Amino acid sequence: MNRAQPAAVNPLRDPAALTRSTAFLLALVVLWPLLVVAEFKPGALFDPQNLKTTGSFLAGFLPPETGAEFLSHLVRATLETLAIATAGIALALLIGIPLALLSTRVLAVAEIGPGPGLRRSQFIHYGLRALLTVLRGVPELVWALLFVRVFGLGPAAGVLALALTYGGMLAKVYAEILESGESRPARAILEAGGSRLQALLYGLLPGSAQELTSYTVYRWECAVRASVVMGFVGAGGLGQLMDQAMRMFNGGEASTILLTFLALVLAADALSGFLRQWVGRAGTDGRVAGVSGGGYVMALCASLSVLASFSYLNLGFGELFSSESLRLMVGFLVSFFPPELAVGWLSRVGYGVIETLAISAVGTLLAVLGGLIFALPASGRYGLLAGQASRFVLNALRSVPELVWATLTVLSVGLGPFAGVLALALHTTGVLGRLFAESLQNAPAAPRDALLDAGARPGAAFLYGTLPEVTPQLLAYSLYRWEMNIRMAAILGFVGAGGLGQLLYFELSLFRYAEASTVIAAMLLLSIAVDATSAALRRRLA
Amino acid sequence: MKQSSRRLALKGALSCALFASILSFSLPAAADEAVLRVSAIPDEAPTELQRKFAPLGKYLEKETGMKVSFVPVSDYAAVVESLATKKLDLVWLGGFTFVQAKIRTNGTANPIIQREEDAKFTSKFVTADPAIKSYADLKGKTFAFGSPSSTSGHLMPRHFLLQANINPDKDFKNVAFSGAHDATVAFVAAGKADAGVLNASVWDKLVEAKKVDTDKVRVFSTTPPYYDYNWTVRGDLDPALVKKLSDAFLKLDAKNPEHAEILQLQRASKFIPSKAANYDGIEQAAKAAGLLK
Repeated sequence: MNRAQPAAVNPLRDPAALTRSTAFLLALVVLWPLLVVAEFKPGALFDPQNLKTTGSFLAGFLPPETGAEFLSHLVRATLETLAIATAGIALALLIGIPLALLSTRVLAVAEIGPGPGLRRSQFIHYGLRALLTVLRGVPELVWALLFVRVFGLGPAAGVLALALTYGGMLAKVYAEILESGESRPARAILEAGGSRLQALLYGLLPGSAQELTSYTVYRWECAVRASVVMGFVGAGGLGQLMDQAMRMFNGGEASTILLTFLALVLAADALSGFLRQWVGRAGTDGRVAGVSGGGYVMALCASLSVLASFSYLNLGFGELFSSESLRLMVGFLVSFFPPELAVGWLSRVGYGVIETLAISAVGTLLAVLGGLIFALPASGRYGLLAGQASRFVLNALRSVPELVWATLTVLSVGLGPFAGVLALALHTTGVLGRLFAESLQNAPAAPRDALLDAGARPGAAFLYGTLPEVTPQLLAYSLYRWEMNIRMAAILGFVGAGGLGQLLYFELSLFRYAEASTVIAAMLLLSIAVDATSAALRRRLA
Repeated sequence: MKQSSRRLALKGALSCALFASILSFSLPAAADEAVLRVSAIPDEAPTELQRKFAPLGKYLEKETGMKVSFVPVSDYAAVVESLATKKLDLVWLGGFTFVQAKIRTNGTANPIIQREEDAKFTSKFVTADPAIKSYADLKGKTFAFGSPSSTSGHLMPRHFLLQANINPDKDFKNVAFSGAHDATVAFVAAGKADAGVLNASVWDKLVEAKKVDTDKVRVFSTTPPYYDYNWTVRGDLDPALVKKLSDAFLKLDAKNPEHAEILQLQRASKFIPSKAANYDGIEQAAKAAGLLK
């Protein structure tokens, strides 16, 4: 995307006007039916009955509950949440690393030249990629819901759900990182007869170790948020407490739990930021893969916390994988087949899919607007104070998971898809606002300064100097979040916020697994379709 | 090469440690046998369920000589599935969840005990809207059931609504599942739902404990009686232990002050033997309401 061409013919003509206005009109045309399906009625926010309901619930937030018994529950649940996240990520690494290495093209010896193994190797690659898509295409909450049934109650279900979804995600992103880096050193090692392990350690890792570590730490941070939510389906942790407090409209407990969330997410964020910075520094001192004395200490700390997590949770995997449980598990899985394909049911699921799409699209769009509004001050454009304040707002929005926002928004606008839209918009504004602010900060200043020097007003300098520089990145972030929001929108129904989730919850409650299986298949197809679309869009934008 | 082997060794050691940790932390749990694993459908807040169960758990420990552990849950269906997959030994089920358990265990789930009150259980329809006086006034309103798997909070009220020619899926503006009986009252009191329905026993408890403002939320209809809750054991539990358990429940006597506390927390005047046939009516209602095939 090279927008920096000089306006050739008419110097007064806006070079970007045509594309921008066409895109805007097109967006409106596409958006309209989505708004209808998502039951987009901002008026509901100001309905007196809803205002009263929300107001009296929020009034109950003060003072936060500080009873000793509740606090001891809270501490236990917080530890459990952290342990679930850490243990889940550890298992996800066990799944993700081998899958990533197996599905990375760069390490495929068979692809080096024409040989007998090429066809087979390509076949394996496609098979693995499909497996990865299934693993991460089914939302972790749905995995948890299923595992709660198979493995019984408690944190084991949450840990395994995280392990599968995040294993799939890690594998995909690791493979992408390894492929996107400089692949010639690895290829050279392979061609010179080196082993694949040597090619990995000396050809690939030095270039990508920093990014790999950084992504892993970021995923751990996400896992903390995700394991908060697991509790909503009975997999332990803070979510379970939150679910109860919200259902009983116990504002005092809810506010204490929310404050704990905030503290936890900010702490995870800070730790993750610190680790990433540290890895960044370690990568520059010339050591292979950034492993130094400090690296061993860090690895030791990480493995100790993994050990501590497993021992705290006392998962009893031995029992989980006994032949008896395996038999039961297979029986459970078999009951999902064949999926229910009656026309009436398919049309209900179909409408659920459309509703889910609409919720995610409108929610993400609102978040893009909100994100931009907060990103401008957060990037330090209007002074330090405004910057700090908007950063705090963004952090607060981001640290509350979508599902928890949804329990609040169903109060403010009533049950239905619009509550889901708002919940997604609130959380995603926090996420996008932060990313947008970072992009704005990193945007090169030269074009804007040139415009300012040439006498342009600040607004115009922003629109034509800064915006074109960051647009591709902002779009990429927004598309990526939209992808995630579709998965999220599919499960918001668990708390009455529309979409496929409510159908799934109801059918699972009644043990109608054939019907539930159709809903899960729909979620999976949706996620695959979105993956493909957003990859295609991103390729076009790049 | 020297460096790479060192790194390999480190990697190897780390992964060994991880596997060892998984093994070592899982083994003790498998070896521990003399524990009676008890749970209950989460028809009230889990903290409330634990509070209610504590004295009963101690009593059962004394009577059976086993360690009793209560597993709190937030999903009805998970309790049924855990009983079917033998992750639980003794569970407190509702009528509908018992029928589901019976079907999922091919009829082996064994209902041993119920409260005397469970033989003629009822549900209360509640509202905070002065305009709602009968089932017919519910048309076009937002309505809250408890959990989809609840007998007194969903199945039987749906059954009686259908008999009165009200179809919840078509005639209500929106149907919410609050998840638990006390949550349904909270939904109605907060205005999140225009009306709702819950189990009579929980309603009475909330009124007695003054946890609900009866000036605001009132009962506008009560269902006819039906069989509800029981204590069910998994089919292959040692018959001697089953005998001990049912004897322990049957022995509970309101005149004994220690027992009185247990009975009062369980909201039972006394416990009586139960049998699967008691719940045939529920099974038919579930089939008629389309909740069971």
